Amino acid sequence: MALKKSLTPTATPVDERRIPRDLAGLLTALNDPNPLVRRWSARDLIQYPTAAAALIEQLDHETDPSVNEVILTTLTHLGDDIAVSGLINCLRSENVWLRNQAIEALKQMPNAIAPLMERLLNDPESDVRIFAVNVLESLRHPHVEDWLIKVIASDAHINVCATAVDLLGEVGSSRACSALHELKARFPNEPFIQFATDLALKRIGTGCH
Amino acid sequence: MSVTSISDEDFLKFREFFYRKTGILFENSKRYFVDKRLLERMEANDCDTFNTYFMMLRFQASGEELQALVNVMTVNETYFFREDYQFACLVNSMLPELIARRDSYQPLRIWSIPSSSGEEPYGIAIYLLENWPSLVSWDVEIISSDIDTQILYQAQRGHYSQRAVQNLPAHLLNKYFRREGDSYYISQMLRDAVAFTRVNVMEPAEMRLYRGIDVIFCRNLLIYFDDLSRKQAAESFYDALAPGGFICLGHSESMSRISSLFRVRKFPEAIVYQKPWGR
Repeated sequence: MALKKSLTPTATPVDERRIPRDLAGLLTALNDPNPLVRRWSARDLIQYPTAAAALIEQLDHETDPSVNEVILTTLTHLGDDIAVSGLINCLRSENVWLRNQAIEALKQMPNAIAPLMERLLNDPESDVRIFAVNVLESLRHPHVEDWLIKVIASDAHINVCATAVDLLGEVGSSRACSALHELKARFPNEPFIQFATDLALKRIGTGCH
Repeated sequence: MSVTSISDEDFLKFREFFYRKTGILFENSKRYFVDKRLLERMEANDCDTFNTYFMMLRFQASGEELQALVNVMTVNETYFFREDYQFACLVNSMLPELIARRDSYQPLRIWSIPSSSGEEPYGIAIYLLENWPSLVSWDVEIISSDIDTQILYQAQRGHYSQRAVQNLPAHLLNKYFRREGDSYYISQMLRDAVAFTRVNVMEPAEMRLYRGIDVIFCRNLLIYFDDLSRKQAAESFYDALAPGGFICLGHSESMSRISSLFRVRKFPEAIVYQKPWGR
């Protein structure tokens, strides 16, 4: 026995890809009892722009986390309206893992999520509004600061405001100063808001006192 | 007028952001290194203030400047036995676990990607020959891949400078290299032991050819990808691995930040990531 040169890169036949790779074949494979086949199907569906609805439907009942993870990656790649609205629905899921993965996925889709952000930030559920602020954390979009300023200026829920203030400390400019001062005045008896706002003001620095 | 220093607050703000994006945490002791490179990038982009630069870094749709900054903040050099604590982990922890659960004498398969000019795959081969007595009982295949055909050609030639072999003790240099002037030529035996292939990690059709791999070394590659590409690559590696297979990343990289598919394994020598058994 020794070091031995591999003659081919593939050690095992790729049985899980035996089903035809056209759209119909892949959609059938998405319901295969073997998670490996479902995972490969979810991955190969990346080349079919109309696959988002089937993938979203699969997310609802898929039990294997490794399949779910690939579905989310494919949806992020497809990035159409159906994919985005499906991911937004995941923000309401009781499944913490799925919710967090959806937040991560939406962060990668600035142009697709931007037109829907106002609606999300005004959602009746405070948890959804917090998750929307979480999406803003890494969103590459020029309106992030504006959205955050609106949140701290108008959201009645302390936890939503606290989440937004944390982020404003990183991305805020002098434009956020007056809203930050007003926020302190709105929650005078909330030590965390006082602390987080002072920290954000300090970080924004010049012109914010 | 260009800015000549980075304030403490700005450094902290940058440090948190950069850590979130890359997993690289700069201690205060690295302040000079970080500040110098930040100032250079600010000047290159005509940014008068740190905030202007930071906002560009944070919101630029293409992510181009973040990538440029990652490039200057990470030292990308390769040499034999770089981060060899992972090789120690390979022979002391990963391979013993893999063979303990193996029910046949099928070859163990190690994949080194990117191959760069070959220091890593040949280094793994040398380390196994020198430090893994079980090699008498097991066949090991080492495959090494890169997207760059020119660098693959260099790797196959196995021709190195003094700098590339500086970490190798003299007895290994004598044993596995032929010296000509300031150049070192890897032995034919090692050239025959490593299979070099071209692969694009982002191309699923190419990646799916690689299956049943027991250990992947993918060090300091994913850091240069954007978040989505990094996740896709991790998922392809997951499918390339045999159940129970391991993936080793660079010391500043963390799979936990990329994908939740893998288990974190803390071995005495290193932290590596494992595809769960039975998957």
